[in-house]
Formats: sequence, C-alpha cells, structure tokens
Amino acid sequence: MNLTDLQQGKTAVVSDVTKLNDIVKQRLIDMGLVEGQEICLKCAMPFGGPVMVEVCGQCLSLRRKEASRIGVS
Amino acid sequence: MSQFALLGNPNTGKTSLFNHLTGSYAYVGNWSGVTIEKKVGKLRHQTDLLVDLPGIYSLNPLSKDEEVVTEFLLTDEFEKILNIVDASQLKRNLQLTIQLIEFGKPLIVGLNMVDVAQSRGIQINEKKLSDILGVRVVPIIARTGKGCDLLTKELTSDTRKKSPGTPTFKVDYGFLEEIIEQMSELFPDDVNLNKRWMAVQYLEGNKRVISYVSQHMPNTALLEQIKQEVEEELVKRGYAHSLRQFIYHMRDKNITHLLEQTTIVTSSTKTTTTDMIDRVVTNKFLGLPIFLFFMYVVFMLTFDWLGTPLSDVLDGFMSGPLTTWTENGLHVIGASKFIKDLVLNGIIAGVGGVLVFVPQIFIMFFLISFLEDSGYMARVAMVMDRIMESIGLNGKAFIPMIIGFGCNVPGIMAARTIEQPKERLLTILLTPLMSCSARLPVYALFVGAFFVNHRALVVLSLYVLGIVVAMVMARIFSFLFLKKEKSVFVIELPPYRVPQALTLWRSTWEKGKGFIRKAGTFIFAGSVLIWLLTYAGPHGWNVEMDDSFLAFIGGVLAPIFEPLGFGTWQAAASLLTGFLAKEVVVSTMNIIYHAPDTASLTGVLSTQYSALSALSFMSFILLYIPCLATVATIRKETASKKWTYVSVIYSLVIAYIISLVIYQIGGLFF
Repeated sequence: MNLTDLQQGKTAVVSDVTKLNDIVKQRLIDMGLVEGQEICLKCAMPFGGPVMVEVCGQCLSLRRKEASRIGVS
Repeated sequence: MSQFALLGNPNTGKTSLFNHLTGSYAYVGNWSGVTIEKKVGKLRHQTDLLVDLPGIYSLNPLSKDEEVVTEFLLTDEFEKILNIVDASQLKRNLQLTIQLIEFGKPLIVGLNMVDVAQSRGIQINEKKLSDILGVRVVPIIARTGKGCDLLTKELTSDTRKKSPGTPTFKVDYGFLEEIIEQMSELFPDDVNLNKRWMAVQYLEGNKRVISYVSQHMPNTALLEQIKQEVEEELVKRGYAHSLRQFIYHMRDKNITHLLEQTTIVTSSTKTTTTDMIDRVVTNKFLGLPIFLFFMYVVFMLTFDWLGTPLSDVLDGFMSGPLTTWTENGLHVIGASKFIKDLVLNGIIAGVGGVLVFVPQIFIMFFLISFLEDSGYMARVAMVMDRIMESIGLNGKAFIPMIIGFGCNVPGIMAARTIEQPKERLLTILLTPLMSCSARLPVYALFVGAFFVNHRALVVLSLYVLGIVVAMVMARIFSFLFLKKEKSVFVIELPPYRVPQALTLWRSTWEKGKGFIRKAGTFIFAGSVLIWLLTYAGPHGWNVEMDDSFLAFIGGVLAPIFEPLGFGTWQAAASLLTGFLAKEVVVSTMNIIYHAPDTASLTGVLSTQYSALSALSFMSFILLYIPCLATVATIRKETASKKWTYVSVIYSLVIAYIISLVIYQIGGLFF
C-alpha cells in the first residue's frame, strides 16, 4: 500500500521511495524521509491538493501524486 | 581579521544566531530558505567577519540558493565553519555536520534550541558528543542569545593557536572506502581541498563538485567509470538503489550509533501547540478561508484601523507646522523666490507627499514579517499549492509573491528557493504584478478622493486584480514555453514560534528603511527635477504650469491614454516619472497640482478624474511596468536581456488592455 492509502492520523513505516521523481526523492531523503522511517499522515488538502506528513518529529508537505509513489507498510 | 562561515539546515535559527553574533540587521525569517543572499556581518566587539549562508540540508545543491553554499565552500577564503544544529532534530542535522567534518576545515558546532529539545524529552550529553565528533560543541539558544558569548570566544580564540580544532570523526563507508582512496589518488595535487571529501561528494553525484573536478583535471573519464562500476556493484549486491542512498545510509548508521551514546529520549509523543494550530489553519475546509481572513486583517490594519489615521496625523504635521516653519525659516535667511518655490512646492510637496505613507508601509512590512517569522508562510505555500499547480507553478512560488506585496525586489530574489529553473523564471516574471507598498501611496491618494467609504475594499480588489492577472499570465506563459518541465513541491513546515519583538522590529526596519532612503535620494532628486520641469518651459523660467516642459512632454504622450480615461498631460507625466519608483507618481501630482497637503490634492483630483477613470488609472499603475529597481533585479536574477524585455513589455500591454476594459466597459454602466 502507499502513503495516500493511510488513514488520517495513522502511522506506518516507509518501505519504498524508489518510484519518486528524482528532485522530490532527494529533498525527502534530506528531510529524513527514508525507508524504515515511521511516517504519519497528518492531513490532506482538498481537491487532490498536497498532503502533510510527520517524519522524525517534523512536518513536511508534498503533493498527493508523489505521496502515492511512496510505499508504506 | 578572519572570515567564518555560518552553515546549517533551514529553520534552525541560523539567521537569529547571525543577528546575535554580529549585531547586524540581517533579515530573519522562518520559512525554508529565507536567507537568499550571502550576507556578511562583523562579529560584535571583534574585527572578524561572519558569512551567513542559505540554509541547506546537504552540500549537494538542488536549488539556486543551495548552489551558493557549495560555490562558497569551493572558492571562497575562510578560516572556520560555524555549524548551527537543531538539538531537537539532531539525526537529520548531523547529516550535514558529517559532510562539513569531511570537508576538513576547523569546525565549531552551535547546538541550538537545547530548550526545545529538553521540552520534548531529549537530553543531550554535549561533552560526549563533542568528544566523539572531535569538535567543540557549544549549547546555545539563538532566540535569546544564550551561549552566544561563548561561541564568539570559541570562534575567535583558536585561530591563533597551533591546533585549530580540526575534527576527528570519520564515517566508515564500508566497501566504498577502497574506491574513495583510489579516487583521491587520481585528483590533481594543485587542488586546495580535502580529497576524501571531494571523492565522497563526487560519488554522491554533487554536480558542482563534479564540474569543479573536471575544471581541474584534463580527463575525468576514469573517475566516471569508477563511479558507474561501483554503483552497479552496489545495486547488484542489493546494498542500495543508488550510491547516494548508500552514502546517506552509512552516515545514518553512524549517526544513530552516535546518538545512542549521547542522547536520552524520555517522552516523545505528545500533542504540541504546533499540532493544535495546524489542526485549524491547515484544515481541509478552513485552510483557504483562514488565509484569506488573515490577508483581510492585514489590509484592514494597514488601511483602515491603524494606518490611515496615523498617516493623517503625519500629513497634518507636514502641511501644517512643518511648512510654516520652513516658510518662516526661508524668510529669515532671505531666500529668493526661486529657492522658496523649490523647497515648498518642489521638495516638501514631493518628498513629504510620499513620506506621509510611511506609517502604512511600516505596518504592512511589520505584518508580513510577522507572518514570516511565525512559521505560517510555509503553511500558506501548502494551502495554495493546489491552485498554483493548476497554473503550472507550485505552492512555494506563492511566498515570493507575498513578499512582493512588501517590495518586488526581495520577492524576486526569494524565487531562488524554487528548484525547477522554469518555475523560478515564471515566478520572477509574475512577482512584479504583486502590488508592492510603493504603489500603495497612489491607491491611498485616489481612494481618499473617490472611494472614501470603501477604502480597504477597493485597495483589496486591486491586490486581487494583480493576483488574478498573475494567474492568467502564468497559465499563458506555462502553456507557451514551460510545457515540458514537471512542477515539483516539497516543503518543510517548521514549528510555529511566537516572533520575537527584536527580530520583528529589525526585519520590519530592514525592509522599511529602503523606502525612507528612497525618499531621501530618488524621490528627492526626482521632485527637484520634476519641479524644475514644471518651473521652466520653452519660453523661459517661471512659466504657467501648462506651458512648462513637463506639460509639453506629457502632452505628447497624453493621447495614448485618452481611451483609458486619463488622457491629460499631468497623468502622462506622472506615469513617466513613476518608472523611477511608483510612489513618485504621488510626488509628481503634488507638484503639478501645487497641492500643499493630501487633502487639497484629493480635492484637485476629484475635478480631474471620475471614479471610473480613477479606477482605470490605479489599475494601470498596478500593472504597467516594474519600477527601475525591480527591472534591474529581474535582469540580474534571470541573467537574460530577453526575459527582462519580456517582463517590461508584457506588463505594459496587459496594463493597457485591463485599463481599457475597465474604462470602456465600466462606461457602459456608469
């Protein structure tokens, strides 16, 4: 399953970031979003807007399209 | 005198620390990448210099402002690195620290926000951390300045001693070590950089380092080959998907081990204030309305509740006591009529007419600084991203635009944080459409004359007009030439912080002083020139206003503006001078209409314009051309004459069309 399948407020573990666009992947790695890390879906903006997630005690925002390429388990 | 470099992740309080250490008035913000230029300050009570660099996550640059840092490390001269680290985010922050340690220069770590870390249940043994890393670790609280004295002492003392505290910590990259050594031997000897660092960065794919190496080596084919082979080997053995990931992972492993020895985490999961605020302001349905509400409050404070009354008081002073005193003073020293006219009708009318708006402009800047420092800006980027995506941009592009409301110049520079070059270009082209504070005096003047009961509403609608035009243009531009590039959006949302009074005042002053300085230079000179042009004419000095040079020049252009509803020479002349700086339009009008104060000027204007033509004129002012300083910035930031011309010409065309539509269509109804 991927990050967007996660229920709001629920936590999972990142299992796959290889399908991401290169720039986005690099940015997320820099911010600590890597495989094996716990991730929590905080909220999602309406009309297919970006999602807000929490990784390593800090919040990030990324587009839903990209979020759907992040595998979690 | 030595030079030190201040480096750290975004949102770690880097610029706050810079302000405390140097006492200089650098601009402080709380969204990713607010430091957009290399800023140099002098350390307090010292001669040494500190360079404030943009926040970065790693030395491998993705955006323009990050490139600045790598460029600096490769080419600039400096003694030591001061690395500011967020104690509550050590794991992530140390990734950069390790790269800096590998760089090999003396390093001092400023462990910031130890108080925040403590409140989150994180206890750090600095002594042990310092021992393992082999660098000095100084706990600080940058927001209050705690620990800054010690930091300055550490920075300045060691340089003269023999051992300057070069770090000893070394990450073991496992089977890459052999490769790193092999590459190090290949690098030329005349390069003054740490070879191990270069090799690791090369393997990581740092483009700037790769191009640096190729400049200093005739043939890099062998290096490339080694890199490729080792990457294939990595993937084959199933260690990682890429070299970059592998290197990150090895560092991460070392960091985790390091943290196990040096930190104790007691409690980690509890609802923070940031969580609670975010539940409301980034709420699915409330997010956008709340942002619009904040903007509404900003405008009401600036124009209605606070700004206008203050401006009125100042106007009363300028046109009353100040003018009388000056008149008397000039009379006492026996000034000629020419000088009297110049000072009273030229300088006081021109410069004073603009200075009157200082309160409103400062309030605006103050509120923008407040939004920036609080951490809300990053949320705005997130809330706006969906809308921005639909016009081919991303949410981050919205931040330069909001800053552009204060002044377009820093707005355009803020576009450096956008990763994709074309998105950045587009943002630069559109930011001038954001109504900056210099346009505000013009609106204030006209709404005072024609829309007394709907001041804030009319001004707000002009700001909205700017935004709408920008969105439409974005759509057109991205359709015309930005089709291929994919838009990306990732942003860090820093915790909310209550902005400090000192920081707020400094950043407000930093932004606002430019406006006052402009009044003393540009507008002063402009006013004298304009007054002279009205004073002299083809038939000699002290002519009637309608026979002056200014009337003559304006008269040539006036017919062009006839269809827009303001085909007078006065309007044309003020638009022409408005290119210098948009508030000069007000100075020019004060001089042309011989108005001693704003009240009498609005009186004259109501005979020259109708409500409709005033609206058309304001829209034209909003859109018609970026001011001189903005055009220069566009030229610098795009490094392209073509795009500079495009930005000037398209805005002129758009302004003409919009004003024409307003005046002609509006004329059918009123």
